[in-house]
Amino acid sequence: MNTHPAGRHEPGCYEIRLQGRLDQRWSTWFDGMTLTTSPDPAGALTILRGHVVDQAALHGLLGRLRDIGLPLISITRVEPDANDGQDIAAEEDDR
Amino acid sequence: MADPLVETKLLLPRPRREVVLRPRLADLLRRGSHGPVTLISAPAGFGKTTLLASWFATAPSTPDDDHLVAWVSLDERDREATSFWTYVLLALDRAVPGSGAAALTLLQSGQAPVETVLAGVVNELSVHSGEVTVVLDDYHLADGVDVAAGMTFLVDHQPPQLRLVIGTRADPALPLSRLRARGELVEIRATDLRFTVEEVSSYLNDLNGFDLTAADLAALEARTEGWVAALQLAALSLRDRDDRTSFIAGFAGDDRFVVDYLADEVLSRQPDDVRRFLLDTSILDRLTGSLCDAVSPLPERAGGRSGRAMLEALDRANLFLVPLDGHRSWYRYHHLFGDVLHAHLLEERPGDVPDLHRRAAGWYAEAGQTEAAVRHALAGGDAERAADLVELTFRTLGRERREDLIRRWAHEVPDEIVRDRPVLAIALIGGLMASNEFDGVDLRLDHVEQLLAKPATDLVVVDRDELPRVPASVKMYRAALALIGGDPADAITRAEQAIEAAVDGDDLVTGAAAALSGLASWTTGDIASAHASYTTSIPALTRAGHIADVLGCSIAMADMELRLGQLREAERTFSQALELAEANAPAGSRGMRGTADMLVGLSRTAWYRNDLAAVAEYLRRSDELGEAASLPQNPYRWSVGMARLRAAEGDLSTALELLGEAERVYVADYSPNVQPVHATRARVLAARGDLAEARAWARQHQVATDDELSYLREYEHITLARVLLAEHAATGSRQTLQDAAALLDRLLAAAEDGGRMGTMIELEVLRAVAHHAGGARGESLEALGHAVELAQADGWVRVFVDAAPVLTDLLRELATSQPQSGYARELLAAVTAAGSAAGGAGPGTAPAPRPVVGLVDPLSDRELDVLRLLGSDLDGPAIARRLVVSLNTVRTHTKHIYTKLGVNNRRAAISKAHQLDLLSRSGNR
Repeated sequence: MNTHPAGRHEPGCYEIRLQGRLDQRWSTWFDGMTLTTSPDPAGALTILRGHVVDQAALHGLLGRLRDIGLPLISITRVEPDANDGQDIAAEEDDR
Repeated sequence: MADPLVETKLLLPRPRREVVLRPRLADLLRRGSHGPVTLISAPAGFGKTTLLASWFATAPSTPDDDHLVAWVSLDERDREATSFWTYVLLALDRAVPGSGAAALTLLQSGQAPVETVLAGVVNELSVHSGEVTVVLDDYHLADGVDVAAGMTFLVDHQPPQLRLVIGTRADPALPLSRLRARGELVEIRATDLRFTVEEVSSYLNDLNGFDLTAADLAALEARTEGWVAALQLAALSLRDRDDRTSFIAGFAGDDRFVVDYLADEVLSRQPDDVRRFLLDTSILDRLTGSLCDAVSPLPERAGGRSGRAMLEALDRANLFLVPLDGHRSWYRYHHLFGDVLHAHLLEERPGDVPDLHRRAAGWYAEAGQTEAAVRHALAGGDAERAADLVELTFRTLGRERREDLIRRWAHEVPDEIVRDRPVLAIALIGGLMASNEFDGVDLRLDHVEQLLAKPATDLVVVDRDELPRVPASVKMYRAALALIGGDPADAITRAEQAIEAAVDGDDLVTGAAAALSGLASWTTGDIASAHASYTTSIPALTRAGHIADVLGCSIAMADMELRLGQLREAERTFSQALELAEANAPAGSRGMRGTADMLVGLSRTAWYRNDLAAVAEYLRRSDELGEAASLPQNPYRWSVGMARLRAAEGDLSTALELLGEAERVYVADYSPNVQPVHATRARVLAARGDLAEARAWARQHQVATDDELSYLREYEHITLARVLLAEHAATGSRQTLQDAAALLDRLLAAAEDGGRMGTMIELEVLRAVAHHAGGARGESLEALGHAVELAQADGWVRVFVDAAPVLTDLLRELATSQPQSGYARELLAAVTAAGSAAGGAGPGTAPAPRPVVGLVDPLSDRELDVLRLLGSDLDGPAIARRLVVSLNTVRTHTKHIYTKLGVNNRRAAISKAHQLDLLSRSGNR
């Protein structure tokens, strides 16, 4: 998979949308992902955003979401923000 | 099980004191109780465990039959297939005694794939009269490729007596759509589990006595979406509150995550000491009073109550606790609330977390629970302490056969800690090797050698006495790797180096290296060297306290002694091992694993002496000890032993049946299979005159007269010679006799060359038969005389009896004419006695009547038919088809058979039946 710039063993940045407003305190629980909430006409949203080292880490994170019973709305691979503090732009693909 | 908390995993949780009756869910579960699989799949906090616990605690059992429940609460460690199946089989065997013990033996030996292990369980359950439900709670924690493979097999081969109930947060990796399509799956999902308004009312108003209005109830139902975890928190928040309606309005109007909102409410209403206690102890996966005191010390909790008092208070207040045992000494937090508490702890006092883990590690280390101690030390970032613990306990764990723990740590302890710790590194290597995990071990060994080249002051070692032992251990593991890699010569060299390097008193390395060398020599057929190695290894391993290994080595050693003609030594080897095993029997058990095998070994030596009463007695004692005292190979060895006995009594057809059973339950081990069951079977076929089948055996296993001879296949070649002699007796073919004689001459030369006197005795007897058949009386007498001479010192008898009546006249001549004729006279007496007792064991002769040990309540003819098939590998439905009866009839017969024989599983029924000689009479109809 080396030809693919963002293969399964590569780190990546993800944005996970959850239904409901989750307190800031859960940030540590989610391995330091940034946690923002946005008011939405259809109901509050929580957005977790951050860096995972590989797919196994991502699945671990999803397991934690499952364990507190939060409804999952979407999960997207995203370009890292400057403030994500990770210089991995070179490894990002174009999805 | 070394895990003292195993009980808590197998205990059906007590239902909560107050539960809302939910008839619609009970209906679903009732439907599930008629089908193979029930899946309860919903997120955390939907009341899955509560539902199952109350259902199984109160479900009406069917009036005509017992319906048994095997409950397993799974955790993350059960993602390992061995751990998972160990608990499942333990639970199953408790619910249905006899259903899991044999499978457990096989599983823990690591010598059979999980599918084989489960096939045995399925076969047993498929004839069982009762029904059993296996409940796998928190299955999501164990689900993964390892566990799913076995579970899929089980679902594909599920007998109608077995029901599976799976409680999980995520749908399991099982063929669910197929089960759904066949209508074999009952599902209870979040929509079913969510509380309706009526149930919310019943819970809050009836059980908690709040007297809320319909509007309040509706608001709560809508806001929590019937999520019982949230309702439970709401109930706690509403307690002692006057402004309930306004609280509910505030809650309903908020958009925060419900559990967050409510847990904050509940926590903020707790006194400081309780709050602190809850957060501190949220790092624990199990709680008990003294552990809580260690983790959250009293002086730090204002107004502190002892941990035990606190747990009792929380339990009474329904605050998050789930009791794990019947006497409320161990608890855990409800998973969801535990997570919430932990999130609070991480946010409010992140700096305290490592300390809390370290204190937990200290408590567990003190309590001797190394596994939990290491886990908390690692979680607390105290890898040094974890490493210390591993270094201090790996020897004990090795003796207790808990290498699986060490193997896990090998993957968890950070590399930088292992970097300058040679003792730790070698301990981890030992855990990996014992768990058959060889990848990367050579690199780890290289690393240890590099460490050993450094000055000792640069190394971290907890117990300085361990350091000098490391170099020899490295060589010993290298020898093991060489043997596994298929290079026995290299293995022997390295094992010698290990023994050379071993410090005085390092019995474990000396014993293990010598055993490796012995095994390596054995696989090359050099039994003289192999025997010498085992002679070193057995006493060393005994001194090191590794008794299980001593028993394994003793079987190998005695096997070689028999080939070398040392019947007395072989007896002594088995007797000493038996004594050792008996002296080391775990408290409350019938014997340590391997004890029963030593008795089967003694039955074999008694058979060579032709002491058939002793053979029967040893086999009886071995069987009585049961599965838990047996190695996985014992069932097949026992059947071979019983076959020898029956053949010696002249009942060749029963012997053949027993050998067929032995082939079915055969399990390989590391030793070369120098006496294969199929060859023993061919000998009985030849003796019975089934020459075509015996010839087919030789073709199938490619045993030919012009093969190159080696010790490893010697038994098979001697078998071929026996087949040829039998053929000549039947056909009179000169060529066959010449082939047999030539093969025997070559075999004798090879045996003589290898010093295998036991083999020589048998070969000389067979040569005497061959010469006799060819009319060469002088040569025949000479060969027989030589055999008698060799057999005399240790008292070999059976081999001569088996050659009667052909050689009886020759023996008589020897007995009267030879100068040293004493032993020949003894043999003649034995042969004559056996001849008159068995009426001659020649082809076609009917077995002599044996004294019948009757049952108080004899088996009916139909029960005997079923019993016979219980010895096959047919499952219940197949047996029913064979007998053209219903499965229920088979189950009823099986139940009666078990009761009459006083056993609880198929294998025990068969061995008991063989002992009582119930099967041979029906077999000779």
